[in-house]
Amino acid sequence: MNDLLLTGLLMLIKLGMILAVLLTMAAYLVLAERKLLARMQRRYGPNRVGFGGMLQPLADLIKLLTKEDFLPAQADKWLFLLAPGLAAVTALLAFAVVPFAPPLELFGRQLPMVVCDLNVGILYFFGLSSLAVYGVALGGWASNSKYALLGALRAMGQMLSYELAMGLSIVPVILMARSFSLTEIVQAQASLPFALTNPLAFGIFFIAALAESKRTPFDLPEAENELVAGFHTEYSGMRFGLFFVGEYLNLVVLGAIITSLFLGGWHGPLLPPIIWFLGKVLAVAFVFIWIRGTLPRLRYDQLMAFGWKALLPLALVNLLATGGILLWLGGAS
Amino acid sequence: MPTLIIDNQSVTVPEGTNVLEAAQQLGIVVPHFCYHEALGAVGACRVCAMLFIDGPVKGMQMSCMVEAKDGMVVSTEAPEAVAYRSQVIEWLMLNHPHDCPVCDEGGECQLQDMTVASGHSVRRYSGKKRTYQNQDLGPFIAHEMNRCIQCYRCVRTYQDYCGGTDYGVLGANQRLYFGRFRDGPLESPFAGNLVDICPTGVLTNKPYRFTSRFWDLQEALSVCPHCSLGCAVIPGARFRELQRVRAGVNPEVNGWFICDRGRFGYDYVNHPDRPRTPLLHGEELPWSEALEALQQRLSELIDRHGSDSIALLGSGRASLESNYLLRRLGEQLGTAAPVYGSHAARDRAARAVTDLAAKLSASLAEVRSSDLLLVMGADPLAEGPMLALAIRQAVRNGGRVMLCDPRPVELPCSAEHLPCQPQELPQLLRILAAGENLPANLQPLADALQQAKRPVLIGGSDLLGAEGSAALLAAAQKLNSAERPCRTMILLPETNSFGAALLAGDGPDFDQLLNDMDSGRIKALLCLEADPLTDCPDRKRLLQGLEQLEFLAVLDHLPSLTAKKADLLLPTTAVAEGAGTLVNNEGRMQAFAQVFSPGEPLRFTGQGGHPPRNFSSTTPGALPCQAWAVLAELCGLPVNLAEIRRELAAKEPRLAGLPELSAEGPGQRVLPGNGASSSVPPAVATADESLQLLVCETLYGSEPLSALSAPLDPVCPHPYVLLQELDAARLGIAADDLVQLTAGGQQLALPARLSSRMAEGLVIVPRLRGTELESFYPGQPPLPCRVEKVSTP
Amino acid sequence: MNLWRDIKGTFQPFWITLRYLFKRPVTISYPEQKRTLPPRYRARMILTRDPDGEERCVACHLCSAACPVDCISMQAAERADGRRHAAWFRINFARCIYCGLCAEACPTLAIQMSSEYELGNRDLLKLVWEKEDLLVDHGGKDPDYHFYRHTGIGVVAPRGGNNDELPPVDIKTNLP
Repeated sequence: MNDLLLTGLLMLIKLGMILAVLLTMAAYLVLAERKLLARMQRRYGPNRVGFGGMLQPLADLIKLLTKEDFLPAQADKWLFLLAPGLAAVTALLAFAVVPFAPPLELFGRQLPMVVCDLNVGILYFFGLSSLAVYGVALGGWASNSKYALLGALRAMGQMLSYELAMGLSIVPVILMARSFSLTEIVQAQASLPFALTNPLAFGIFFIAALAESKRTPFDLPEAENELVAGFHTEYSGMRFGLFFVGEYLNLVVLGAIITSLFLGGWHGPLLPPIIWFLGKVLAVAFVFIWIRGTLPRLRYDQLMAFGWKALLPLALVNLLATGGILLWLGGAS
Repeated sequence: MPTLIIDNQSVTVPEGTNVLEAAQQLGIVVPHFCYHEALGAVGACRVCAMLFIDGPVKGMQMSCMVEAKDGMVVSTEAPEAVAYRSQVIEWLMLNHPHDCPVCDEGGECQLQDMTVASGHSVRRYSGKKRTYQNQDLGPFIAHEMNRCIQCYRCVRTYQDYCGGTDYGVLGANQRLYFGRFRDGPLESPFAGNLVDICPTGVLTNKPYRFTSRFWDLQEALSVCPHCSLGCAVIPGARFRELQRVRAGVNPEVNGWFICDRGRFGYDYVNHPDRPRTPLLHGEELPWSEALEALQQRLSELIDRHGSDSIALLGSGRASLESNYLLRRLGEQLGTAAPVYGSHAARDRAARAVTDLAAKLSASLAEVRSSDLLLVMGADPLAEGPMLALAIRQAVRNGGRVMLCDPRPVELPCSAEHLPCQPQELPQLLRILAAGENLPANLQPLADALQQAKRPVLIGGSDLLGAEGSAALLAAAQKLNSAERPCRTMILLPETNSFGAALLAGDGPDFDQLLNDMDSGRIKALLCLEADPLTDCPDRKRLLQGLEQLEFLAVLDHLPSLTAKKADLLLPTTAVAEGAGTLVNNEGRMQAFAQVFSPGEPLRFTGQGGHPPRNFSSTTPGALPCQAWAVLAELCGLPVNLAEIRRELAAKEPRLAGLPELSAEGPGQRVLPGNGASSSVPPAVATADESLQLLVCETLYGSEPLSALSAPLDPVCPHPYVLLQELDAARLGIAADDLVQLTAGGQQLALPARLSSRMAEGLVIVPRLRGTELESFYPGQPPLPCRVEKVSTP
Repeated sequence: MNLWRDIKGTFQPFWITLRYLFKRPVTISYPEQKRTLPPRYRARMILTRDPDGEERCVACHLCSAACPVDCISMQAAERADGRRHAAWFRINFARCIYCGLCAEACPTLAIQMSSEYELGNRDLLKLVWEKEDLLVDHGGKDPDYHFYRHTGIGVVAPRGGNNDELPPVDIKTNLP
């Protein structure tokens, strides 16, 4: 009984910490992105609220919370209200399977540094990332606005196309790690991260992840110069804020997944594993931001052509090659 | 029908058309100053030059001076023609001052348009500019002679078209001067047309001076409400104020011009005392409550005294639609049919005219092309000024005018005047209708009628009365034949008298209403834009009747006497503030469009300075509603003018075509009536020996709307009494003597005027609103009166 | 297809943005730092006066006609000497887009643009300026121009009394 209580307590503390860290990271990633983009464009970025703009996320939160929560007259009310929550919650849930450090010895028991070490963690992640598109699609459809609908359609088309390549690019990783569990995949990279052993899979997954997160150069669903704001055109106040939070949570989660799948997770010399993990996640996030500051948006047909004609065949070839090599190596070992 | 080619486009035009008009038919914009549709071409300004490439004439020609002929090939865009025109513009601009910013014509100036179009922008000539002294041309026209380009349009309009004699061209050479012999007000009642006609800013609208720019005005096609002719006008409003009226174009009615009463009589719309909020016993209340109060009071009275206790009063001032909806309201409440018109005799006369087979009635265009005009008891300048102008055009075309009238009727053209007593007029018409021989003194008239090919009989309903009008119609019917069409035109007292009378049909008239009020049966009266207290000749009886009423409701936009006495006053809109239909005296339905929404003029709310500095979502004084909309609301009908028109056309077969009516176009005649009342009325006993008082209308001051218009104040006559010279000599009265007039139980001291051209035994006074003469009423049989000299000035 | 060029074109910008990341921003932090305006900078409009010190504005409505956002309104009036002037002249700076079309349209050079651009305000009514607020006591960039000396309608000079005018003609003479 006491044991169960303690486990539960530890679990709650862990959950609370993860939630706090994740949300703070998401909030400060917004600031970091704005600052970094500004500096890449030789501006200052937000620098009015707090020292060097450090309180900007708080100010944004207050602003979003106090803004009118606008519901378009012809909108589908319940779907419209549900969609932003869906976008944010799926991103949060996906983090459940990400191991961010080796298990900790605490009070004489093994505490896994992962919310839930599913043995099919990868599949869980894919399931949730497919669900995330519902937030966008339903939000865009429920707004009853042509811009929002166009944005939602683009989002769906884009996600369908890239999910395939993304899934195929992971199969070699699973083959190499011989497990669906993320913890075991991370363990399999103790010596050498998969990014080095299978760089093509890493590249495909990275590009597909960019497309999944709807960021430049794949930000067609919210292309502001064509579609006003795409799927969230009609959203305001904290509902818009939820979409926003979801987007940056997604950034963190994708960073964590990329770290776990290809960059060796928490493994690294000298520094404690949690620092290595966070550092790698932030590095991935920086690269995402860097790409946004550098590359222009693709045209929709280019995006589709690239997904189906380049990434998908490449991923297939990579799968065959990796499988062949593994068979050959496996045969040898 | 010659066919010619202009700018590579082929056009076929009627014989006699000039090339300029042919080009305009093709939609080609041809610059021109001296040419005008109403005035014709004189070839003075030289800017309509075109290059004639092939055909009977060749070379550079003024297109307005060349008649279109078969085989002509003309170019307006040939480089020579373009250069020629721009050089002419440059010459015209040599002496034109550099003052467009302070010129009222700016924005609607033909010279400005043509100059910009020709590309002239820099004055290359370095010599000095010619200047002139200006003249004071009275209260309507501002003069700025420096801007003149010598196109002669003003002289051709004023002297030739309007028959004015006191304005013309003076000087010679480079010193041509368009003005009067000396300073002074222009005498012609059509002088305002100079404003429209002048292609630059020489002659501009003085009351409108420095008020607005053309492009800032809200304008719409409308109908003039100041007499029964229904001329097309284009009122212009800005800052919630009706600021000016310019002539519209209706070739069937007024042509291109309007009279000064119509042009400067607009200010009643901006009258500071105008009712602007619903008032119940003097207390302001919102519309919804006002309508509720009205409905509640009416149903209460119906419950208590029966539906007979409610009387409805329409008028010739209200539009056809609102008059119809009043009748419709009566049907819903179960009351008697509405009375249309507060002056029973005028109402009866209008109904007699309405009965006429409308194909007999003449439009002003037909008057202009007639060759004999018989004016019987009508004073066109007072009762329908544009008719006088139409008569003048007939005379210019070789027509002949004969006047039978007890009054010294003035016309802007030559006319043969045959003075007669008022009661002789119906007699005369009866003789004509019966085809009998006219008395010897009227032999010239009989001869003229014999020779005329297109005679028009013109009458005034005030002097003729119902019997006279019917006799006039009967006479026209008698004289009309297939080979010699004879038409009639009868002037009615109000702008929509025809429409109101048509709706009245066989309904009760105001005398019956007075009887019912006397008997105490009427408990409530609802007046639609009617002012019985000013218009009903029997004011004493009416006042007694009003005392007995329990409820008096008035819908009106004028600060009238009746409105002041009303228990419930509902403010309505003036013609320019709403849409609707008016039927003019020839039975022509004319729709008018809304020019602007009602509201208290900014001039008042800002007190001359800048407008108040505050935010408000309500417009001050914007409460007046269109009368038809109020009545539709009361009837529970949808507030939709098109639907009401459809319903009205279905109910009144004579108004077929009403639903298709638009404010554009010349309007549409109502269908002919059955002409039932053309039975010849019995003779009236001749009057006795004593002096008879005849009350008549005047150009300014009699018509209720323009009498409230400030720009007309300077020209409103002062009260006077007009005597025949022989009568005056008998009574020892000289011109300008103060005399005492005793008539109808009243004694007034008035200055005397004398005339030799009026009938003997008559005393004439004008009915001037807002003066002591308001208590005399036109449209009544002459009153016995006494005139005594009081003093010499 | 030049693959090398495409690859270079894709990755070279990353180097540029990375370099810029460490460069000093060029932003001028406005309320603290103010830039020096060019001498003929055109911000809000003013109403200038003619050499006699009278208002140049004749309320011709050309500025309000030219204004693309309809922020100018006025009422013309006539003074006893026949001079046309603005009874009131109002501009709503909350609507004004500072395009300068009014100054371009002004035929009397009354409207000119001044370099005052700091008009921000939280009370919209304070952004509605009247003639009195706009009038300055100088002639702006063309101090010698006097509209009524060129109009030829005799307001400041007797009729025909301006430099480029002949005296009024005598219409009663017969001489050629």
